[in-house]
Formats: sequence, structure tokens, C-alpha cells
Amino acid sequence: MGERSNVAEREKLLELKKVTTHYGPIRVLTDVDMVIYPGEMVCLLGGNASGKSTTLKTILGIVKVSEGEMYFRGERADQLSTAERIERGMAVVPENRRIFSKMTVLENLEMGAYLRDDKKGIKEDMDYVFELFPRVKERLHQKGGTMSGGEQQMLAMGRALMSRPKLILMDEPSMGLAPLFVERIFEIIKQVNERGISVFVVEQNANVALSIADRGYVLQTGEVVLSGPAKELLNNEAMKKAYLGEV
Amino acid sequence: MAVSSVSRAKRKVNWLPWLLLLGIAVIIIGRIIYLYSLDPRFNTAFFLRAFIESVKLGSLYALIALGYTMVYGIIRLINFAHGEVFMVGAFMTYFFFTFTPYPWFISAIYAAIIAYGSMRVLEFFRGSMRDPLVLAAGGVIFIGLTVLVSSITFPFWLALICSMIFTGVLGIVIDRVAYFPLRTAPRNSLLITAIAVSFLLQNLGLLVFTNRQTPFRPDTPLIQPLQLTVGNGQVFSNWLLLAIPLITAILVVVLTLFVNRTRLGKAMRASAQDAETAQMMGVSVNKVIATTFLLGSMLAAAGGAMWGLNFGSLNQPAILGILPGIKAFSAAVIGGIGSLPGAVIGAIIIGFLENFTTAIFPKTATFQGVTEFKDTFAFILLIIVLLVRPSGIVGEDLSEKV
Ligand SMILES: Nc1ncnc2c1ncn2[C@@H]1O[C@H](COP(=O)(O)OP(=O)(O)OP(=O)(O)O)[C@@H](O)[C@H]1O
Ligand SMILES: [Mg+2]
Repeated sequence: MGERSNVAEREKLLELKKVTTHYGPIRVLTDVDMVIYPGEMVCLLGGNASGKSTTLKTILGIVKVSEGEMYFRGERADQLSTAERIERGMAVVPENRRIFSKMTVLENLEMGAYLRDDKKGIKEDMDYVFELFPRVKERLHQKGGTMSGGEQQMLAMGRALMSRPKLILMDEPSMGLAPLFVERIFEIIKQVNERGISVFVVEQNANVALSIADRGYVLQTGEVVLSGPAKELLNNEAMKKAYLGEV
Repeated sequence: MAVSSVSRAKRKVNWLPWLLLLGIAVIIIGRIIYLYSLDPRFNTAFFLRAFIESVKLGSLYALIALGYTMVYGIIRLINFAHGEVFMVGAFMTYFFFTFTPYPWFISAIYAAIIAYGSMRVLEFFRGSMRDPLVLAAGGVIFIGLTVLVSSITFPFWLALICSMIFTGVLGIVIDRVAYFPLRTAPRNSLLITAIAVSFLLQNLGLLVFTNRQTPFRPDTPLIQPLQLTVGNGQVFSNWLLLAIPLITAILVVVLTLFVNRTRLGKAMRASAQDAETAQMMGVSVNKVIATTFLLGSMLAAAGGAMWGLNFGSLNQPAILGILPGIKAFSAAVIGGIGSLPGAVIGAIIIGFLENFTTAIFPKTATFQGVTEFKDTFAFILLIIVLLVRPSGIVGEDLSEKV
């Protein structure tokens, strides 16, 4: 679509080409085209049930692609298992955080590093997570389920970072958080992104997301209806009406 | 915002089951005190023996119950075929210590099955069946076992280990063939399949093991007599009295360490809580399910082997697994299905109930010479527990928020 020609030459981190997915007989995504470049932060906007979470699940391989192709780091990825995709550098902060509530905070972090064997690297990343979220470090031996919603969000992000990903997929990280806390979470997402980790974030909170993202896509009933640089989307008339709340 | 008051929905407490439990406890304790103070035959030694016997019986149930609870925890299936897996484990042990040495070609078949099973287990740690280490281990096990099985008579412990591996593989095969294709099917289809697998194994057992009484007397020091003097009385039994609880304890500790400390064990707990999220962390949930079947079936095989030792014979393969199976299932439910400590606790409780009641009310051992009346105790307790605490003793409250 409207990509600038100089970036078109860059290597793509993730690319969806005309991806269609189904839940049983019901089609949820139709011909979705998306690209994420290394180091970018891209946000995915859309109303309820527009297929945002399904897009993330498709990228991860939880939901299978029924038509179209997907490439990750230059490699055809739509036939890979979820574990293989994670091994190649994806990580997710799922919708509603999905902390393992009966496992300790430490065990939750360890689950994030499930496919890794390098003890030293894991230790380094754990220290990085503690640096980002001192609160998580304080609660290491507490059961995940006893943490507050905000703490669970931090833990879920820490857990995703533990796999040392190239691309983090986040599904509504601000859901159910107080406005001040949302700002903090996005501050941290930005920090993570500045480390060179690409971020693909689903948000209802379009204003906040677009203000820090590089580009955005807008989904409507499973189709990409709008896409482009974040600034353009922020000023787009249709966007303003539908998602940004006309003042 | 105002502090939200934590208000619990008022639940009507049903007193009847509690009264029943209290009544049962009063009757048992009263009877023990009565016998102990009035009848010289019921001395300390008698009760000590009854106590250990109860733990022993409970241990056997626990080994089976763990399989029910683990499988339920992960795929929410009551694996009705598990009692039959226990039966196969018992008979396979028998076959290993009785008929070895086998002709070399039968040995090769056994060795191939066990080598395959071991490779499957190693696969979990090395990532692939084609890993050179896994292949090498498989080859060594295959050749070593072929030589071993075709040349020596197996001691009991070796028969036990081989039976555990064989039965563990059977568990994986059952999952792969019968349950795997139904992963996304409705729960009821899975349940009916489990019943079908159970019938299939019962009849295969009948076919292969035949319906005659099979004496189960391996050459092991465990069945040597044991005599203990306690106070003015004596306990006459055999070493199994101590060995079965001990072996069970070791297996339970190993299982607990596995589940709590190893990576695969953690993946197992994570999948039990939330399979999809575990998958998002890179856990291959089907592998975890296979491991669950492997471990559950291995424990059941150990239970079966010791069951044979304890009762001295195995008979009627078609029904051998049924009663222990449903009692162990009751134990798992009583303890709180899905919970490992719950299964052990439930099993020990049933062991006590069954064994102690027959010890202090000898007439309940048989009823009109026909039915084993004691068999009903587990189910009476099951019904009461389901009325009082449907989620079981250590199971979390079902109303708890996720
Ligand atoms: N497992 C499933 N089986 C069947 N249909 C599903 C399943 N998951 C989602 N759907 C359907 O797919 C559509 C898109 O759902 P999705 O969760 O992707 O929406 P979303 O954009 O993330 O919405 P929200 O903002 O509410 O989270 C919805 O109509 C939903 O009902
Ligand atoms: Mg969603």
C-alpha cells in the first residue's frame, strides 16, 4: 500500500500476504496484508470483534492461516508450529494477561524462557526485566494470581521479554488499568522498542497508541480498512470520527 | 471510590452429609475404643498392623489415582481406560519375571517397544527423535534388552521397570490413537471413547492373558515373612507391609520433584492451568499430554505389579482393573480431581476406610458370603464428599474467580 519506497527495500521482519483465517466455518480475517519492519512499533486498531486478537493468534500460529502467506524474518512461517515461531523470535503479551495464576512469579518468568537453554542469557534477561519492573522482583515468590491487575500486566510483559524476542505482540496492554498506569506501561513499551525489539500492539486506546507508534493499521470486520504512518492516522478524518473521539 | 465490601453469596449449608460424616467418625472411633479396652485380641499390635495395612492399600490406590488426576488436570478427561492400564501393568510384570528368558524374536519385539518408549521419553529432553543421542540410546537399549530378555530370568525389580516402561508406552499409544484425534471434539465424545478403549483393553486382556488364575509369586525378598513385636502382641506379615508404602512414597516424591522442578513438569502445570497460554510460551501441549499419559500409566503399572505381589495372584483380566480403577477414581475425586496431593490423600483415606472398617467390623468383609461389602465404603464416602465439598478436599473452590 502506501509504503515509502526507501523502506520497501528494507528487510521485512513480519509480512502477512492476503491472509484469511476461519474459526470453523466462520471467516474472521479477510485478505489481511501487513508488514512490520525491524525495530518498528506498529499498532493495530479496531472496534470490538473486528479480529484484532485473531490477527495476533494467527501470527503466532494458534489459529491457522486458511488462505494467504506469512513470512517471518524472511522465512515462510505459516506452516510452522507456535513453538517454532517463538524459537525464531516472537513473544506475546496475551489479552487479559493470562498469568499462570497458580505458579509463582518466578515460575511465570521461567515459562517465558521455556525454549531457551542459555542459563547466562536467561539470567541477563531476568535482570533486565527486574530493572524495568522492580515491583516484579519484590514479588518473586508470590503466586501469580495474587498480584494486582497492574502487576500482572508487568509480569506478562516481563514474561514475554524472557524469550529475548525480535517481535513482541501485545494484546491490549492497557486494558483495565488506571490512566496514569497506562502512561507508564506505554513508557515502558517505548523503552523496550528503543532496545531494537519490534512491537506490534493491539489497542483500544487509539490516542495513546498512535502517539508513540510508527505506523498503524485499522481493522474492521476482519479487513484492513486504513493503514499508514501514525501521524497521518491521528489526523485522518475518518479515524477521528470512529476511534479518536472528535472534540 | 468507596471500599467495596466483600459480600459472599449466602449458601445454604446442608447439614445432613456433615452429620453423616460425623456419625461415621463417631462409630469408628467408638468401636476402636470399645474393642481396645474390652477385647484382648484387639491390642496395640493389631491396630498397628491395621494402620499400616491401610496405608499400604491406600498407597496402591494412590498409584492409580495419580494417573486419573493428572490426565484430568490436563485434558479434563476422566480416563476410564486407566483401570485397564493398571491391569496390563500387572500382567506385563508377571510376564517379564515368569517367562523370561524368551525366544530371541519375542525378546526383540519387547525390546523394540521399550526402546521406542525410552526414545519417546528422551525426545522430550533432546527435542527430536532423530537426535544422535536419542538414537544411540535407543539402539543400546534395543540391543541390550534383546540380549537380556532372551538370556536371563528377570528379577522382580527389572520386570517392574520393564513393565512400567511398556505400560507407559501403552498410555502414549492410547492417547495418540484414541484421544488425540478428538482434541477439539466435545467432551462427551472423548468420554465415550475412553469407555470404548476400556472395553477394548478388557477384552484384549482376556484374549492375551486368558481367564485362568495367574499365581503372582516372583522370587523377591519382599514377600519374605516379617515379624514385629509390639508391646505384648506381634505383627505377622511380610515385607510388603513396609515396602509398598515406601516404594509409593519414593515414586510420589520423584513425581512431585518432576512436576515442580523440571522444565517439562512446569510446562505440565502451566498447560493444566491454561493450555493456550502455555502454547503461546512455546510449550508443545501435545508433548505435555503424552508425558502425562506416560507418567500416569507408569505409576499405574507399578501399582499393578505391587497389587499382584500383595494378593499373590491375578485373575480375570477383564475385570481386574475395574474395581481398583473406580475406587482410585473416587479417591481422586474425594481428594480434589486435578490435584496430585489430593489424589494421594483421597487414596489413603479410602485405604483406611476400607481396611479399618473390615478390621474392626469383621462381618463387613463379606456380606452373606456373596458381595464384598467393604467395596461400597469408597463410594459411600464419594457421595458424601460430593455433597459436602464437590471440589474435593484440596481442590480449590469452584466458585473462586480465575
Ligand atoms: N475461538 C473462537 N471460536 C469462534 N469464534 C471466535 C473465536 N475467537 C474469536 N472468535 C470470533 O472472531 C471474531 C473476532 O474476534 P477477536 O477476538 O479477534 O476480536 P477483537 O478485535 O480482539 O475484539 P476485542 O476488542 O473485543 O478484543 C469475533 O466475532 C469472535 O466472536
Ligand atoms: Mg481482542
